[in-house]
This record gives sequence, C-alpha cells and structure tokens, in this order.
Amino acid sequence: MKGFTLWFTGLSGSGKSTLAQAIEPVLLERGVMVEILDGDEVRTNLSKGLGFSKEDRDTNVRRIGFVANLLSRNEVVAITAAISPYKSVRDEIRARTANFVEVYTECSIEKLTERDPKGLYKKALAGEIANFTGVSDPYEAPENAEIVVNTEQESLEESLDKIVRSLELMGLIPPGEDNHTSPEEEVVIRERLQALGYL
Amino acid sequence: MGLLERLAADGVMPNIAARIEAGHLRSMRASLPEISSVSWTSFMTGANPGTHGIFGFTDLNPGTYALEFPDFSRVEVPTLWDRLGRRGLQSIVLNQPSTYPARTIPGVLVSGFVAIDLSRSVKPLKWLGTLRRQDYRIDVDTARARGDHDWLFQDLEYTLQSRAAALGRLWQEEDWDYLQVVITGTDRLYHYLWDAVVDPTHPRHEQAIDYHRQVDRFVGQVWSRFADESDDPESHFWMLSDHGFCAIEQEVQLNALLRETGHLRLGSGATELADIERETQAFALDPSRLYVHSQGRFARGSVSAEKRAAVKRELADALHALRYHGRPVIRDVLDAADLYEGPCAEHGPDLVALAHPGFDLKASPTASEVFSRTDLVGMHTWDDAFLLAPYPIEGEELWIGDIAAHLEREFEH
Repeated sequence: MKGFTLWFTGLSGSGKSTLAQAIEPVLLERGVMVEILDGDEVRTNLSKGLGFSKEDRDTNVRRIGFVANLLSRNEVVAITAAISPYKSVRDEIRARTANFVEVYTECSIEKLTERDPKGLYKKALAGEIANFTGVSDPYEAPENAEIVVNTEQESLEESLDKIVRSLELMGLIPPGEDNHTSPEEEVVIRERLQALGYL
Repeated sequence: MGLLERLAADGVMPNIAARIEAGHLRSMRASLPEISSVSWTSFMTGANPGTHGIFGFTDLNPGTYALEFPDFSRVEVPTLWDRLGRRGLQSIVLNQPSTYPARTIPGVLVSGFVAIDLSRSVKPLKWLGTLRRQDYRIDVDTARARGDHDWLFQDLEYTLQSRAAALGRLWQEEDWDYLQVVITGTDRLYHYLWDAVVDPTHPRHEQAIDYHRQVDRFVGQVWSRFADESDDPESHFWMLSDHGFCAIEQEVQLNALLRETGHLRLGSGATELADIERETQAFALDPSRLYVHSQGRFARGSVSAEKRAAVKRELADALHALRYHGRPVIRDVLDAADLYEGPCAEHGPDLVALAHPGFDLKASPTASEVFSRTDLVGMHTWDDAFLLAPYPIEGEELWIGDIAAHLEREFEH
C-alpha cells in the first residue's frame, strides 16, 4: 500500500478538521495506516512558540509538510488540516512530497462569517484580531488542487464521498466494498440465525 | 391482556404504564411470515413484501439452489427516512434490523440484526469512531447466550446500556426531526427464556423481570428527554413491536412434513436444499414459506404451470390436516397471490402457513421428524404485535406496514 499526504487547505471554519476526522475511519477501513497532523496539536507540540506572522506561518506549514512527507514515504497516510494560506509554500511541499494530494475546502467568507461558531470572523472584521486569514491576511486559493470540495453547498457526507472516490480513482486506496454482505459475513449470519432457531 | 400491559399494570414498567395511560394501545398484525426481516422491512418502507422484496431471512437461488441471505441492498424502494429526507427532514435511526450493510440516509443510520461489522453498520461513517469508543454493541452474542443464560443477562444489560449511550450522543450532536431506536434484547430473552418471563416460579424469573425494568428505564429516559425538548410530546411519541410472542409447545418442521407427503425429495445425506431432486414438487423455507418447485422458475423445477394450482391445493390440504395429539397445528394457509402485491411478488413463496400459537414453524432441510423440541422456548406470533399511538387508529386489519404512513403524516402539519 502506498502512503500519501492528504493536504487539506482552506479558510478557518471551512471544514478541514471535520473532514480530516471524518475520513480517518474510512481510510482505516480500507486497510491503510493513518496519522492526522491537526493544526492545533502541531502548534502545541511541533511548532510551539511560533506566532502568526507570515514567516512563522510558513515555518509552521513547512514543519507539517516535513513530518507528512516522513510519514507518507513510510506507507502512512498523513492527513494535515492547517489553513496553509500561501501557495508558494504549499507548492514547495508538494514538490518534495511523494503522492501529495491537495484538498481545497472552498467556502465563501460570507458563509464563514455566518457560521462563525467561535466569533472569530466577527472579531477579525471588527479589527480585534490581527493577521486573520481571509480578512486581514491573504488566503491564496489553490489553482490546481487534486480535489475541491465546496462545503458551502455540499453536505459533509457528499464532500467525504467525493474525496474517497477521488482517492479510489487515483489508485491510492483500494475500492470500497460494495453494499452487499460478503460470503464471510454470510457464514456469521447463518450462525446467528441458527442461534435464534432458524435454518 | 398482553405481556406489555401486564408488566405495566404490575408496576414493573411504570414509564411504559404512563405512556399507555397517555396514548392508545392496541394490537396489530405483523407481516407474514411474522419474522423481523419481513416485518421491519415492511415497517420501514410502508410497503408489502411484494413491493419491498424481503420475504424472509433467506432465499433460495433458483439456479443453483444455494441459500442466499437477502440484505438491505435488496430493498430498492425508499424507506420512511428517505421519504422524510425529500422534505428536508433528518432522521436518527438506531439499531434498525434488516438494514445491513447500512446505506446513506438523510441523517444517521446504525444497522441492527443481522449486522456483523460495525464499520459497515454506520452511516455516515463519521459516527464510527464515537460508537467504537463507546464500545457500542449491535446485539447480544446470541450463539453464546443461547446456552449460557448468565452470559445472556450480562450481555443484555451491557448492550442496552451501550445503546442508551449511543442514543445520547446522537441525540445531543445531530439535528433531527425523526428519531427511532429499536430494542432487540427482549426478543432474544423471549426466544431463550420466555418461560422465565411468564412463570413466577422459574429460577430466572426475577432476572427476566429485572431486564424489563431496565428497558422501562431506558424508555423513561427517552420519553423525558423528548418531553423536555418537544412542544407537544404526547402527540408525537410512538411505540410498536414487530411481532408478538408466546411459548413454544412444539417446533414443526415443514420440510419433514413435505418429505412424508412425498412432495420433497432430497438426495441421500443431503444437508441443504441445493441437493433437491428434480422430482421435488415443493419445499419450504424458514419459517413458514412454501414454494412449488415450478418449471421455468427453478432450474430443476418439475411442476408445470398447469399443475401448480393442484400442488398448492395438496400442500394446503396436508397442512390443514396436520394434527398434534388431535389438535390442528395450522390456523391458515395463505395464498401468496392474496398476500403479496408488487413487482417482487413473483420472487416470493407460493403459500405461507400460519400456525396456531405454540406451534413454531421451521424449515430445516435436514430435520427428519415433523414434531420436535429444542432448547428454544419462545416463538413469534402474528396478530398481537402492539402499537402505542398518540391517537386512536381503527381497523381490524391494521398491520405494521401501515405505520410509516401515519408517521409521515406527523410531518404534514
């Protein structure tokens, strides 16, 4: 099984972490090893002390890319869910990472402001948070992401299915089982029915 | 008075007693055959087996005669939850039998019996991790529980607790319009220990009654949370069962009967219906389905279209004539043409037998005796499933397939 890096990029609140968490069990089910490099966890451990200047953000994203590459070249699926706003750094990581799959979680600022569960966009728009991506700091959307999901228009399940189908088509994960009971399962079903007096 | 009313009246199930007091309790018919796969599929589709295509836990492949296990993928008609979804309504459906492998519904589906692998029982998959961390149990370990009743009670309790925990999380974290949870532990208990439930002198009576207290607490928790969150909970709370139960007096093996009457011929040492001989005129599938071995339908079918009606009459006569210590065993033999309608009807049985309570119909291909007993003590019954509805529903012929339409109407206001 090949490892690969599933690199989610998108604005804060666009669904990167939610999709990263949601896809983990699907990939595990397909028999691959998975590690999620969660943005918050990375900042607490690997990138402790870094701030939110462009330089610090780039350093943070490069570190995530470095670890993701180590994992994916050792047959692990590395899932990252950092905003990673700058195209040049993402492209740099893409160039040195085998099987780099960029997933853009597209969502408009208007929708994100409307969702805004932590009130961050409201504060950023009011000027209370500096360097806030998409408001007071640029977000450079990918032009050639392998996968684009529009979390404004798609349900979580739809976006998830789109990502899974794309990975199947790329040959990075084995196709999912169809929706039928397998012969092995039928053996168990037979035993269970017998235990209830059938057959 | 049925068991539910009795346990409610006796104070064993006070929460259910309160719901009975507030609602309208009546009996209704299950599907025919009266088994979970058919009854629940009829419930969830609101359709007749001739339309939804599920006639039992098993089917016989007409070409190879191999036993097949129809799964949820065979149900091609929309479910209640699909139809609610078309109106933009979300459902939480926990432990619904006969929905394995789970498919996407508008909301969350966690399949029940005969679900095997949790990862294929949950849609959307984002819930898999939570359910695994909660050690969610789909069902009791029936193979072990049948012979180890200490284990049965432990497993019943654990499974119910895990169900309650899962329901709590789903309820808390999902937006829903329709919520449904199925309790399957009572069915397992009744199959293995019906006598303990109804006989106060049985050594496990107290344990059996205590399980009902646990179920009642669970219902009480569901009700009180629903009542807290709903403007008019009394008008929207439903309870039902997919069949009734009674004690087994005798298990009745239909294929053994068909061998005696000469309708079924199996090769010597045969263990499966795959070994059926060409001369066979009819066979049975669990629990009470009779198939004419028709030409054009089955690869080795020997009964011509002209003789089919005569064979059906012979089968019905043989069943009606069956006696146990002078008492009739069969209450009715129903022609599938009268029972089933829809595009799948032609894949169903030709006849369905309905036994008098106490005679548990079976269709083992290897049984040599028509009458026998095993360690099973409880069996399903057809016309005493219960329905607790928020308003009176009239009609002697109400059956479980009618309920989905009532539930859908809840959302029209």
